[in-house]
Amino acid sequence: MSGIGSGYDLSTTTYSPDGRVFQVEYAGKAVDAGGLTVGVKCVDGVVIACEKLVPSKLHKPGTNRRTRAVARHAGVGGSGYTPDLAAVADRARAECANYKSFYGDAIPGKVLAERMAHYYHLFTLYWSVRPFGCSTLLGCKDFDGYHLYLVEQNGECAKMRGACIGKGKNAAKTEVEKLKLNEITCAEAVKELARIVYATHDVKDKEFECEMSWVCDASDGEFVRVPEDIAEPAREAARVAAQGDAMES
Amino acid sequence: MIPRRTAHERVIGPGVVPHGVDPEHDALYRGRTARGTVTDEVLRGVRGRPFTIDGKAREKAPATRTQTPYVTGTSALGLKYAGGVLLATDTLACYGSTKRYKSVERVKRVNDKCAIAFTGELSDFAYVCDLLEELTTEDFCEDDGTTRDAEEIYQYLTRVMYNRRSKFDPLWNSFVVAGYDAKGEAFCGTVGMIGTHYADDHVAAGFGNHIARPIFREFYKPDLTEEEAVEIMKSALYACVMRDKQMMNKFQIAKVTKEGVSIGEPFAVPTEWGYEKFYNPTKFSPGGW
Amino acid sequence: MFDAREDALAGARQHANWSPYDNNGGTVLAVAGESYVICAGDTRMSSGYNILTRKFEKIDKMSGKTLMASAGFAADAVTLKKTLKARCKQYEFQNKREIGCVAFAQMLSNTLYYRRFFPYYAFNIVAGLDAEGKGAVFTYDAVGSYERTNYSCQGSGQALIMPVLDNQLKTVSPLVLPAASSATPLSEQEAIDLIKDCFATAAERDIYTGDSVELWIMNAEGVRKEEMALRAD
Repeated sequence: MSGIGSGYDLSTTTYSPDGRVFQVEYAGKAVDAGGLTVGVKCVDGVVIACEKLVPSKLHKPGTNRRTRAVARHAGVGGSGYTPDLAAVADRARAECANYKSFYGDAIPGKVLAERMAHYYHLFTLYWSVRPFGCSTLLGCKDFDGYHLYLVEQNGECAKMRGACIGKGKNAAKTEVEKLKLNEITCAEAVKELARIVYATHDVKDKEFECEMSWVCDASDGEFVRVPEDIAEPAREAARVAAQGDAMES
Repeated sequence: MIPRRTAHERVIGPGVVPHGVDPEHDALYRGRTARGTVTDEVLRGVRGRPFTIDGKAREKAPATRTQTPYVTGTSALGLKYAGGVLLATDTLACYGSTKRYKSVERVKRVNDKCAIAFTGELSDFAYVCDLLEELTTEDFCEDDGTTRDAEEIYQYLTRVMYNRRSKFDPLWNSFVVAGYDAKGEAFCGTVGMIGTHYADDHVAAGFGNHIARPIFREFYKPDLTEEEAVEIMKSALYACVMRDKQMMNKFQIAKVTKEGVSIGEPFAVPTEWGYEKFYNPTKFSPGGW
Repeated sequence: MFDAREDALAGARQHANWSPYDNNGGTVLAVAGESYVICAGDTRMSSGYNILTRKFEKIDKMSGKTLMASAGFAADAVTLKKTLKARCKQYEFQNKREIGCVAFAQMLSNTLYYRRFFPYYAFNIVAGLDAEGKGAVFTYDAVGSYERTNYSCQGSGQALIMPVLDNQLKTVSPLVLPAASSATPLSEQEAIDLIKDCFATAAERDIYTGDSVELWIMNAEGVRKEEMALRAD
C-alpha cells in the first residue's frame, strides 16, 4: 500500500502513511551507490579516505577530488553524486568564511556540522528542490581538539569516532569497529583506512583511486591531502594485502 | 555665559545637539526674543538639547565616518634588490598627534609570494587583511598547487581601493605590495587611497614619498645585494624618523625572496640626542623657564 | 539632505579634505598620415610636486588597429582602459572580428558619456588605421565629446604642443570641395622627428611632462615602438 510506486514517493512534501519520506530515502540510495568514504578520529587528528571510482582510463589521476578543504582547519569527504558533493562543499566554504568574517575566529566543528546539516535539511522540505544525493564526513580542528562529524543527505548530523558511507559501508564499518580508536594515531590510521578501502573494493567495479586527506598535528592543524610519501606506501601495502586475500579465496 | 558644548558630529554628538541638526526640533522651539523678533542667531547656541541617537537623521545623513581617519600609520617603504624585495615601516599607530599604539606590526604576509605594508587608517587595514585572508583561504581550499602572486594581489587591491573611492566611501590607506609576479620576477608596487597605482624599483607610500624616495633614487641600482639594500633602507628610515613627527624609532624590515616572506624583528637606528641643550633646553634662552 | 546653512554650522568640525580625483599629469599626442599613425606619450606620473614614477606607460593597444593614450587621473584612465579592453573582447566574440578604430572611438565616447555626472577624469586620444588603411586620430574631452582629426594633443603639455602642431600640420579642411585629403603631408620619419621635438620642448617648460617619451608607430606592417629620453627634472 505505502511502498514504492504507491504515489507517496514523488515529492519530499508528502509523508507515506507509515511516516516515511521516500524521496529522501532514495537520495540515500544515491549515496550508497557512490564509492566508499571512511573516516576515523585518532588521538592526534582525523583521517578521511575515499574510494574514488574512476569511470574512464582517460581521466587524469587526481582529478575530480572527493575530499576538499573548506577552510584551513576543516575539510569534507563524501560519497554519492560528486556534483552535489561539490555544491555542499562550496556551501561549507561559504559558512566558514561567513563565520570568520562575523566572529573573527575559525568556525568550530560543531557549528559547521550543524550549519551543513541545516543546509541538507532545507532541501528535504520543498517540492521545488531535490534532496542532495550525497553524504559527507567532516574533519575539523577547533578550540577543543579534533572532531569527526557525519552529516547525512537527510539532514542528520552526528559526532563520530569512526564512520563509513557509500558502497560497502557495512563491511567497512565492521573493520573500523575493530580498530582501537582510543589509541590509534593518524599515521597508523592512514594504513588501516587504505587497507579497508582496498579490501572492501568491489572487483566488479572498474578502476579506483584511494584518496586520503587529514587534519592533524603533523599537518599543523590544516586539512590537507596526506603527503605522498606517507600515503603511497600505505596504498601499496593495502594493494598487496588485497591481492593476497583474493588469492586465498 | 557658560561655554556651550557642541556636537562633534552633526547627527550624533556628545553633549548638546545644536540648532540645525534636527529641523523638527528647531521648529518646535522657534521662538521670539524678548523684543519679539525671530532670529536664527537667537536659536543658535541658546537652545539645544541633550543628544540622542536619532535613527532617522542617521539614515538621511551621508556616511562621513570614513572620511576622516582616526588611528593612522605613517610611511611605508619598498625597495627591490638582486635577490628579492624589502618592505619597511615603523611600528607606530597614531591617534591624531598622540603616539597611541607603539608596537603595531604594519606589514602583513599574504602568502609565500607576497607581503604588503600600509599607511593610514589601522582599522581599514584590518578590513583589507580580512579580504586578503579570504583570498588566501580560497587558494588553500582549491589546493591546485598555485597561489595568487604579488602582482595579482596588487591589482586586486587597486580594484578594492578604486571601487570604494567611487562609492565615496574610501578606505583610508595606501599600500606597498612586494613579492614575485607570475613570471617569477621581483615585484614592487604601491596602491593609493583613490586607486592610483604604479610599480617601480622602489616605492614609498605616505610621507616617505618626500623623504625616502630621493634616497632610493640616489642609491638604487638593480644589482644591490641584500646587505646594501638593508643599509639603504635603514638610512631612509633614519631620514624619515628625523623629519616625520608621526614616525617612531622602532622599525621592522620584511623581505620577500624566492624562499618566502620573513618579517624581521623590530630594531632602532642610532640617533644622537645627548647634546647639552637637550638636557637643559632653556639654559641659553633668556626669559625661558 | 543638509542645506547650506547646516553645512556652515558644521564647518567647525574637523573635515579631511578628501577628493575622489587627482591629476597625475602627462602629455599624449597623436599624428595621422596617409598610411600611418603615430601615438606618443611621456612616461612620467606625478601628483602635485611629487614624481611618483618615471616609467608609467600611458599608451595601450586596444585592438589590432587601435591605440589609446590617456592623461589625467591615472586610476580612472587605467580603469577605463580595462573596461574598454573587456568590451573589445566581447565585440570580437560577438562579431567574429576585431573592433575597428572608428567603432572603438564611438564606444569610448559612449563609455565616457555614460559617466557624465561622475566623469572619468581622463583626457584621451585614440589613434588607429581606418577601414581604408588611412591614419585616424580621435580626440576627446572627459565627458565624451569627440571629433576625428589628423593630429591632436592632450594633457598637461597640451597648451605648449598644440600651437606647434597647428603651425606645422594644419591642412585643408575636410569640408572643402572638391574633397582633398586632410592627412598630414609629412613622411613617417618627419612626423616622428616633429613629435620628438614637441616632447623635448614640452619637457623644458612643463613640470608634469618628462622622463621619457614612447612613440607607437602603426602602419600596414604593424606596430613598432620607439623611445627617447627626456629631461628628468
